[in-house]
Amino acid sequence: MTSFRLTVEKAVKTYGGVTALADGNLDVQAGTVTALLGANGSGKSTLSKILTGVVSPNSGSITLNGAPMRFASPQAARQAGISAVYQELSLIPDLTVAENIWLAHEPLKNGFVSRTLMRQRTQSLLDLFAGLYNRHLTPDALITDLTPDERQLVEILKALSFDPRLIILDEATASLDGQQVNRLFELVTQWKANGMAIVMVSHRMEEIFRIADKASVLRNGRTVGERVIAETSERELVELMIEGAGALHRERAPLVDPANPVRLEVRGLKTSVLHGVDLTVRDGELLGLGGLQGQGQSDLLMALFGAIRSTGQMIVSGEARHFRHPRQAMAADVALVPGDRGSEGLLLIRSIFENLILPSWGSYGTPIRVARAREKGAVIAEELKMVMSSLDAPVNSLSGGNAQKVVIGKWLLRAPKLLLLNDPTKGIDVGAKAEFYSLLRQLRDRGTAILFYSSDDDELLGLCNRVLVMHDGRVSTELFGDRLTHEQLVSASMGTPS
Amino acid sequence: MTTISAPKTRSPIGRTFSRNPFLLSLILLIIMIVINRALQDNMLEIGPLNGTLRTMMPAIFLAIGQTFVVIAGGVDLSVGSILSMTNAILAVMITQEATADQALVAILVALAAGLGAGALNGFGVTVLRLQPIVTTYATSFIFAGIALRILPEPGGRLPRDLTSFYRNPLQLSESFAIPLSLILITLLVIFWLVLSRTRFKQFLFATGGNADAAYTTGVRVSRVKFTTYLLSALFATLGALALTLGTGTGNPRAGELMTLPSVVAVVLGGTRLAGGQGNIIGSIIGVLILGLIGNIISFGDLDSWVRPLVDALIIIAALAIPGVIGLVRRLNQ
Ligand SMILES: Nc1ncnc2c1ncn2[C@@H]1O[C@H](COP(=O)(O)OP(=O)(O)OP(=O)(O)O)[C@@H](O)[C@H]1O
Ligand SMILES: [Mg+2]
Repeated sequence: MTSFRLTVEKAVKTYGGVTALADGNLDVQAGTVTALLGANGSGKSTLSKILTGVVSPNSGSITLNGAPMRFASPQAARQAGISAVYQELSLIPDLTVAENIWLAHEPLKNGFVSRTLMRQRTQSLLDLFAGLYNRHLTPDALITDLTPDERQLVEILKALSFDPRLIILDEATASLDGQQVNRLFELVTQWKANGMAIVMVSHRMEEIFRIADKASVLRNGRTVGERVIAETSERELVELMIEGAGALHRERAPLVDPANPVRLEVRGLKTSVLHGVDLTVRDGELLGLGGLQGQGQSDLLMALFGAIRSTGQMIVSGEARHFRHPRQAMAADVALVPGDRGSEGLLLIRSIFENLILPSWGSYGTPIRVARAREKGAVIAEELKMVMSSLDAPVNSLSGGNAQKVVIGKWLLRAPKLLLLNDPTKGIDVGAKAEFYSLLRQLRDRGTAILFYSSDDDELLGLCNRVLVMHDGRVSTELFGDRLTHEQLVSASMGTPS
Repeated sequence: MTTISAPKTRSPIGRTFSRNPFLLSLILLIIMIVINRALQDNMLEIGPLNGTLRTMMPAIFLAIGQTFVVIAGGVDLSVGSILSMTNAILAVMITQEATADQALVAILVALAAGLGAGALNGFGVTVLRLQPIVTTYATSFIFAGIALRILPEPGGRLPRDLTSFYRNPLQLSESFAIPLSLILITLLVIFWLVLSRTRFKQFLFATGGNADAAYTTGVRVSRVKFTTYLLSALFATLGALALTLGTGTGNPRAGELMTLPSVVAVVLGGTRLAGGQGNIIGSIIGVLILGLIGNIISFGDLDSWVRPLVDALIIIAALAIPGVIGLVRRLNQ
């Protein structure tokens, strides 16, 4: 294995008037995992894309093994052995898994694309995650038919298929479940031993401390420090990322007053995935939903919101209801914050303002009082600390985490009575998470009933006083009070209640 | 161990339709043939069949070229004008006394002009980054103008032996003949099947499916788009050749009304107007359907106002087909 060392110095990238990267620096080498940290919109993805030739910097220098380099195109970076798992994924929905993975480097036989070879090689890549995905994920499956975590796996395998010397993982773990993450980290350890260089972007600090060797921190587009992981602390890194951090306190909710009215009661809810779910949420309660990813949590929330068909009993605000369409749920003051912003949440080319106001136009009268709507929009943008050039910028100009904040913000603006949250903090930085948590607490204290699914155990433990753990389409365990500990949560997730 | 979030298993019917959208058009084509046959009982005999297919050949070429552009996410509104232009060139250059060599030169000149036109479209879309609709609509006037400059009035006459070779069925044995157009169509289908196994086909579909993702993955998206406009112009020129040989003369306005039908045929054939999905076999079927509907109207002795009405209905139906396929798919889930 030849040595590999890539350094970026003083990289600058602006979009019109917006500076995405003001002074980006990075130093990666073979056999090392470098974490790239920073708040939402701090320039992590931009810096990554400069390395893969997707974004061309305004200025700055790249040095590869001592020689100056310039990646004018994705092909050029690929030639140099660099590939990436992109945060927003780079998959073509109507092509198959195999076609996506081998796009632009299809295995040829006599000059023609060999489907047989392509299928075989795809299968052996998929085998790396054997047992950790659905049976319908085959080389011939279409990307449109896959779940978000499966798409993420395909994107990872695609980057790997280029046999890179440097692989960049931009929030590659955000939609994976615990076991998939474990497997990925096993692989990363192998790659590292084989002399591959790895750059990892993640907002989950425990992952950084598990796998990274060093960390490079960006703040407002500038590299503000580099630390060796073994010699630093979570606190130090967070303080580098966010000025005046430290206010990341977590305070668990008190048990809800049993005198509060029941906002939602569900009996025997069934869908193709759910096998009979019972639950009750009271006003002012923040009820957690846990368990491994894909155990039916999303289905439950979607069914409650009328977005997928279900059978069973549902009592909302004291009335037997069964929503057949999200419109009906919205009319009954129910809101759902989806987890997959790309496909469920946003009109990408429309402005941030339009996206924020879309679900609540009705409450601004006819004709619409635009000024008032803008005021509200600005307030929520401020509360969620959105990094953006203006409310009128299109959503696709936002960083991944900031786009997710728009998804959250637009539903909060409706002031719902029952709030359904489908893993809403995926890809959101530590600072904004803290803001979001305090927002949730405020809502709860004002009497909103909240059903909160999170793939992050810490989040459930820090916010909820009662957590329903789901397994295989059922609520397998209910944890509250003293029984609500990390250990219990993990063992319940595995389907082994103790 | 297993994650169980919403596995989408499709029934075989749903899958067949969603992977081969042109199946629906095939069914439509068969219905059209049955109706047409009822009105014109000698329709499938060699003489009438040869004539019907021959008149459809130019439209088939146009639709095939259009398919490439549409799959890659664009549209070419200049194909009709390119056909007019190259038809004019051919008609002026191949005089009645033309030798085989002169005819060949004329064809090469027409091809060069056609490809030049395609390059201009490609330049507008990929280098100047103009909208495909705007670019090709604008250039269509240039090409239409050139056509009129070369051949102000319909005219010209091609050598008889040249046209008769193209017009008559190919006599394979004393008792068996086959329309030349049918051989051409077969060749075009083979061309597509071969192309389907190349990298270019993957690039084409990736570009139309999600150009940003394709670019990020290393597909030279601009080059692919440029190539589709070249292909579309190339096929328009072949269409002009088929028209010139078929009619034996030139008409500077020949393609004026052929652009929109080419798009309709493409959509009828199951190619998605937004790009990323499609197939030239479907487009060929689309042209046949449109042609047969024309036949039915003329044989059915319907009033002249029926024609535009039917055209409008076809366009609506064509646009509705993807929706119908989606519905079939959902009902089958
Ligand atoms: N295409 C674009 N047009 C305009 N602005 C952009 C564009 N891409 C990124 N930006 C801006 O550049 C800044 C940095 O974005 P980037 O995606 O690099 O952030 P990030 O660190 O990856 O954030 P996150 O954690 O949310 O993914 C953001 O403020 C974003 O709004
Ligand atoms: Mg990012």
